[in-house]
Amino acid sequence: MRLTAITAAFALTATAAFAADKTLDIGVSDALTGGGAVYGLPQANAVNLAAKEINASGGIKVGDDTYMLKVIAYDDKANPTEASNAVRKLIDRDGVKYILGFCCSGATGAVASFIENEDAVMLVGNAAERSITTREIPNLTRTRPPADYTGAAAGTFVAEKGHKRVAVLGALDVGFYASYVDAFEKELNKAGGEIVSREAFGLKDRDMSPQLTKIRGQDPDAILVVGYVEPAAFIYRQAVELGIDVPRYGFTSGSEEQFLRVATSEQMEGVWDLRPTELTLLSASENGKAYHANYSAEFGIAPSPSSPYAYDQTYALKDAIEAAGTVEDTQAVAVALRELSVPDEVVMQYLPVDEKMFDVNGQAYTSNGAFQWQSGNWVFIQDLPSDAAAYSAFLSTID
Amino acid sequence: MMTLNRTFIFYAVALVGFILLPQLIAVKYYLHLSVLALIWVIAAQGQNLIQGYTGYVSIVQAGFMGIGAYSTALMGIHSDMPVWLTITLAPFVTAFFALLTGYPSLRVKGHYFAIVTLAFNMVIFIVLMNFHELTQGEAGITGIPKPGAKDGLFNWRDRETYYYFVLIIAVLMTALAALIVRSRIGQTLIAIRQNEDLVGAIGIAAWKYKLFAFVISAMFGGLAGAIYAHYQSFINPEIFGVAQSLDAILAVIIGGSGTIAGPIIGAFFVVFLPEYLRFADSFRLILYGLVLVLATIFMPRGIVGVTTDLMAKWGRGKT
Repeated sequence: MRLTAITAAFALTATAAFAADKTLDIGVSDALTGGGAVYGLPQANAVNLAAKEINASGGIKVGDDTYMLKVIAYDDKANPTEASNAVRKLIDRDGVKYILGFCCSGATGAVASFIENEDAVMLVGNAAERSITTREIPNLTRTRPPADYTGAAAGTFVAEKGHKRVAVLGALDVGFYASYVDAFEKELNKAGGEIVSREAFGLKDRDMSPQLTKIRGQDPDAILVVGYVEPAAFIYRQAVELGIDVPRYGFTSGSEEQFLRVATSEQMEGVWDLRPTELTLLSASENGKAYHANYSAEFGIAPSPSSPYAYDQTYALKDAIEAAGTVEDTQAVAVALRELSVPDEVVMQYLPVDEKMFDVNGQAYTSNGAFQWQSGNWVFIQDLPSDAAAYSAFLSTID
Repeated sequence: MMTLNRTFIFYAVALVGFILLPQLIAVKYYLHLSVLALIWVIAAQGQNLIQGYTGYVSIVQAGFMGIGAYSTALMGIHSDMPVWLTITLAPFVTAFFALLTGYPSLRVKGHYFAIVTLAFNMVIFIVLMNFHELTQGEAGITGIPKPGAKDGLFNWRDRETYYYFVLIIAVLMTALAALIVRSRIGQTLIAIRQNEDLVGAIGIAAWKYKLFAFVISAMFGGLAGAIYAHYQSFINPEIFGVAQSLDAILAVIIGGSGTIAGPIIGAFFVVFLPEYLRFADSFRLILYGLVLVLATIFMPRGIVGVTTDLMAKWGRGKT
């Protein structure tokens, strides 16, 4: 009896040791340097944080096996060729089957163009270009909703505020910012408003006073700023410096720390950010608060609002692998992702379609929200109208 | 005669090496990089004609690659032409734009020419980025088809097939570059590089030859871009910016300006080195820059120049 017990104990220990030895490599391809790094680096950190948490809570259970996650991250500089190279390296050399990250649309589009032919699953985070999920690629899912989904909601909100003449200043050569503005304009026009000016800037521009001077001369009711955090922060600052005293709306998804590197809190006071309901400490759920605290402790800096898209990817992948019961069969995992309910651990507030996190296009939807800068913080003010089911049906009609 | 034989043996061995490469590579990722490097060989051979042999540094090669890439993709999408035809036509579309831009650009010399071509590359980039109705802007064009039918003789989705396809084109274009250089036109280009005033003084219309070199160089770039588009199945303007034009210049300088082997070596250098340096994470680009600066300072004649010097030294040592 005693021998049996000892043998059983040894067997259990051996099994546990064997299980603990199993490692599942997951890849991250993201902008870790360059202009896109304001989104890409926090995403890579978020995947690392989620992997650490998953490992600490016992790993991913697949049948009798337990897998610990190991993250391999490569910098794609938000460049399409670099992203293709990074993903080829992950798949071909490192043997990775699950690739996360993807903050920026151009690089993501390049990988999306060939991922269907690979034995891999691609989970897209912050990249907002609509076309990424219009091709129904079976092994691709995305946690962030497309930009026009949010732009339409923002247009309705600004129109309801009574603004009739809105001037736009944005990185309009970037596809998803342009599609945000197009959807915004459509809803504004419905309410009798109009966009009186569309001024563009480059992502590396820092002096937007010429465009703002022109806008000031057009006497708009409000301005809408769409672009990366840093140039947007310069615009908000320079608008104050030029004495433009109209409501400032934006679509940037920047954190407080990111904006305060460029503008003072006084210069930011009253600015609106109309975006998916991403992480903001003052409005965060319990998961969001825990994520904020853990991320800050781990990396010594607050997480950017959009970084949980990548954190949530990791938990979605964990649940999908466990549901599929395999790490080898990527097709089964891809199918399981499409069938997945929203995991308990996610930070963003997803709106399930047919009770699933991802729709038939592999697209997830969050609610949209209006956030306002008040005394140094982004404060959640209200939800914006967000009909995920209707948008999902619309997305399915696009070729 | 001895040198000719040695050169022939070098190219024969290199060709055999390239043919055997896919069988020697265990990890397909390196085959992917080799395909990209061969595409860069085509672009760099073109760059070498204007930069290395004619002595005019053009900073628009990636822009011309962009024109080639977008023209093949758009012809395929809008006119339903077969891929083979669009790839063949792409260099001619590029040549048309090169002719338009080359004529005014080549009225200026030296640094001014470089700056004018730089401006052209920026214009091409801006047009590709903003002519959204045609180019789909930053989102890019996806789903660009591979050559050949899905149930055809060759599986074009297989990187090995594409490797051999690009290898054949790269060899042909390298041979074409060598033919041009060894022709009377090529000798005139070299004379222009050495002393353009003298060429003019003996009654040769140098501008015609310079324009020829510029347009042919662009055609090489256009062809490289077209092949790239069908290989990656995706293009957006980001790939055809000034930074990539500088890579083409670097490929020529690092490999050996004004030599046929130089762009081949340089193209592999600019594709493989940044990838090998990935282990250095955020220091990767600093290291890459440092290697390039040191190589340019200490190897002004490129890898081919250094190798030739070493071999000559070794030869003298033996005698």
